[in-house]
Amino acid sequence: MTPLVEMIDIERHFGGVHAVDGVSIDLYPGEVVGVLGHNGAGKSCLMRILSGAMEPSAGKIRIRGEDARLDSPHQARELGIETIYQTLALADHLDAPANLFLGRELRTRWGNLDDRRMLEEARKVLSRLNPNFRNLGDPVSRLSGGQRQVIAIARAIYFDVKVLIMDEPTAALGPAETAMVGELIKQLRQEGIGIFLVSHDLHDVFDLCDRVVIMNRGHKVGSHRIEEVTKDDVLSLIIKGALPDDWRPRNAGAVQ
Amino acid sequence: MAAADSTFLSIKGPGSINGEAFHKLSALATLALLVGAFAFGNSAFLSVNNGLTLLLQTSVIGLLGIGMTMVIITGGIDLSVGSVLALSGTVAGLLVKAGVPVPVAMTVAVGVGAVCGLINGLVITRMRITPFVATLGMMMIARGTALQLTGAAPISQLGEAFGWLGNGALFRMVEKMPNGLSKVVFPGIPYPAILLLIVAVGAAYLLRRRRLGRHIYAVGSNEEAARLSGVNVERTKIAAYVMSGALAGLAGNVLMSRLVTAQPNEGVMYELDAIASAVIGGASLMGGVGGVSGTMIGAFIIGVLRNGLNMAGVSAFIQQIIIGFVVILAVFIDQLRSRR
Ligand SMILES: Nc1ncnc2c1ncn2[C@@H]1O[C@H](COP(=O)(O)OP(=O)(O)O)[C@@H](O)[C@H]1O
Ligand SMILES: [Mg+2]
Repeated sequence: MTPLVEMIDIERHFGGVHAVDGVSIDLYPGEVVGVLGHNGAGKSCLMRILSGAMEPSAGKIRIRGEDARLDSPHQARELGIETIYQTLALADHLDAPANLFLGRELRTRWGNLDDRRMLEEARKVLSRLNPNFRNLGDPVSRLSGGQRQVIAIARAIYFDVKVLIMDEPTAALGPAETAMVGELIKQLRQEGIGIFLVSHDLHDVFDLCDRVVIMNRGHKVGSHRIEEVTKDDVLSLIIKGALPDDWRPRNAGAVQ
Repeated sequence: MAAADSTFLSIKGPGSINGEAFHKLSALATLALLVGAFAFGNSAFLSVNNGLTLLLQTSVIGLLGIGMTMVIITGGIDLSVGSVLALSGTVAGLLVKAGVPVPVAMTVAVGVGAVCGLINGLVITRMRITPFVATLGMMMIARGTALQLTGAAPISQLGEAFGWLGNGALFRMVEKMPNGLSKVVFPGIPYPAILLLIVAVGAAYLLRRRRLGRHIYAVGSNEEAARLSGVNVERTKIAAYVMSGALAGLAGNVLMSRLVTAQPNEGVMYELDAIASAVIGGASLMGGVGGVSGTMIGAFIIGVLRNGLNMAGVSAFIQQIIIGFVVILAVFIDQLRSRR
């Protein structure tokens, strides 16, 4: 099977800082890959490069086996790569429907904004994620962290998504909403969508991911099927950048 | 800060009044209060003739203010509009003097304004110069060019046709009296006022109903979010500056036409009146907030203040001081409200 995404030898430097240093990572349809690491390990940079929001200093990206140029978020979205940014990337003064459709506004035959249809669609997709979602007409600056997060998620899944990048999607959410995001991830995987999940929550990661990639100071220090590692193994990779000394694969599967 | 034109962007439940609507209402109340006070002080203030003078005076500030509003919503500022007005007006005058028909000359003048705006936009987005500095540069470049082109001398005797836009009126009715003099039955609606109305409606439509308008708010609200959402941030900003420049050109035509003289020294500090009307009308210099209707109210507040104080014999210097206080007060009240 062709991978949905292949990122090969990706580098990104900021002056002397090697935020991403020669990382290769891939993603298959219907697969959830957890991206783990300390703050500052380079997870967001790697994900932003795939989103078209950051230019790599070096490296290659293939999407569905074809070389891709991801020079702008727009190009990435055209290829079906949708991103939920850690910062959410919402325009505070606009309301939920305007944010949901920002950059991809629905328009009438005359080219006018079709605010009514955008409101209807927004109501549908938002209530699917959170049945209690109200305040569709309020500027999103007035909404709670959870509601804002829901808008950011809705914006990523509403359109024809093939690859979903979730950079700490549950950071601002309560338990119920976190569970909802978990359900959503399982459902999207069923539909054959590939997902990169950046998270600090090992419980969620072990619950949702098929594979984990661990980063440490810009390097990829591990890539494992979830069955072959324990939480302690992963913690060791995150903290020390290496597996415990006495480590053996739990299931005899190959170490990648 | 008040919500973005959320009245435009949203369906509001009954009884919920948002910050922007509140600001607009209070600005409107201020305007009514001013008119009342001046009318009480001098009955001539409410005369038809004075009303027309006021409309004429306000139309120039209003045109500049609308362009300024678009720029301010993107989070920028355009300090060049007063000078661009002068450059465009003198270009129109020079062309007419050279035998070019008036409509062509005035169209070119608007184009000159648009080009100045385009340069502003390119300098800001491509060279990454802050709007304040970029348009400050353009302010001097445009003024200098206007003075250089004319040798700093006004161009007069431009002919009747040149004065048509600034001095004509729709539905003007004049009656010939038996003694040979003519009597004005109805002074008509001045063309500048009609022009302002058309531009205001067009700009409001663009901001509320068109994608470019939505993107203008988005860019001013959170530039990074707009970029990540696929909005072409650079093009959106450039469009705002081009419109501001073109409207400055149009305002130049109106002003020079009214004087029937192309004055390279006209329009000094007009950018400040334009900024003041936008801010009094509720626009935020932080970006993301503002609207045409608010700016129109702001322009009329400034126009009424100037006109009323003039009639009351208050010196131009004192007027400046008063308007300065009004601007600070308007922003202060807005901040008080949004801090709650
Ligand atoms: N725009 C930037 N300019 C300079 N340094 C940056 C920038 N973005 C990230 N970095 C640096 O790159 C490193 C990786 O950051 P990031 O990818 O955000 O880490 P993570 O998401 O894993 O916490 C950090 O040292 C961070 O300071
Ligand atoms: Mg991060």
